[in-house]
Amino acid sequence: MATTTATITLNSADILSNAISLSKTSSLYYHNTTSTGLTQYKSGRVNVYVTGGSFDLIPALASEEASATNSYVYIVNKDTTAANYVNISIYNEVIGRLYAGDWMFIPWEQNDPVGDNGSDNDIEVEALIGGPQTVEWMVFTESTATILDASGD
Amino acid sequence: MATTTATITLASSDLLDNNISVSNTATLTDQGNDTGVTKTTGLTRVELSSTSNVVLLDSGEAGGLELARNAGGAITSGKVFLQNLNDRGDGSKYVTVLLQAVVIGRLYGGDWMFLPWQGGAGNDLEVTPSSTTDTTLEYIVFY
Repeated sequence: MATTTATITLNSADILSNAISLSKTSSLYYHNTTSTGLTQYKSGRVNVYVTGGSFDLIPALASEEASATNSYVYIVNKDTTAANYVNISIYNEVIGRLYAGDWMFIPWEQNDPVGDNGSDNDIEVEALIGGPQTVEWMVFTESTATILDASGD
Repeated sequence: MATTTATITLASSDLLDNNISVSNTATLTDQGNDTGVTKTTGLTRVELSSTSNVVLLDSGEAGGLELARNAGGAITSGKVFLQNLNDRGDGSKYVTVLLQAVVIGRLYGGDWMFLPWQGGAGNDLEVTPSSTTDTTLEYIVFY
């Protein structure tokens, strides 16, 4: 097992009449365990172009694995132009916009929820404005099978 | 305007042959500009004790945060922080987090998430606890 931690710190001195200062650290474990760290990991850096369509950024497992329920995804938009953003979706449902400099960290149901080895849980990205935007991502997963797609040839 | 920042640090010394140490800070701004967000729900705490699906954040145009946003129009650059304050326990209890009917993932005791969020119909953020054990969640929305 491995020990991987994710920490968030939220700060604002002036959005409320009192300051917000919040910090939280979690360890990334297999489900149904209290100390078994996740052991498979993938990451990448891609340029996302405006094409009128979305792309699979992090595909769901190619083969159904019912026990692989606990994964975590980190995505950051490295663009620097404030007006630029990418839509992040799960399949066709838009989660939200990652503007330049924004990041997100979510738990992720990596399995296809309807069990047909389809693409229902793919995490997708689409640029609707600007030039190519650079997006970096990381996924930590508890899958006990390989997380690689089978070679088609 | 206000200045609000969100910083993430991901670290592991033994997942790979070399250390993972990633850190990024986002300054939370209105859509498409450098103006800091000015609205927030404040930190909110809820307790759930059934396995029924509940709407945690109502984004709908007929009510909820989008209406509260006043003349600003649709929320397109919201940010949500959500944490499960329960102990991890035996690791079997969690809340399923959904975007309307689409499952995002499971938030186990001690876990947190931070995601962009937009208003409008069909974008309610919902949770479904896995057990009737009391589950305590905290969240804050910036929009």
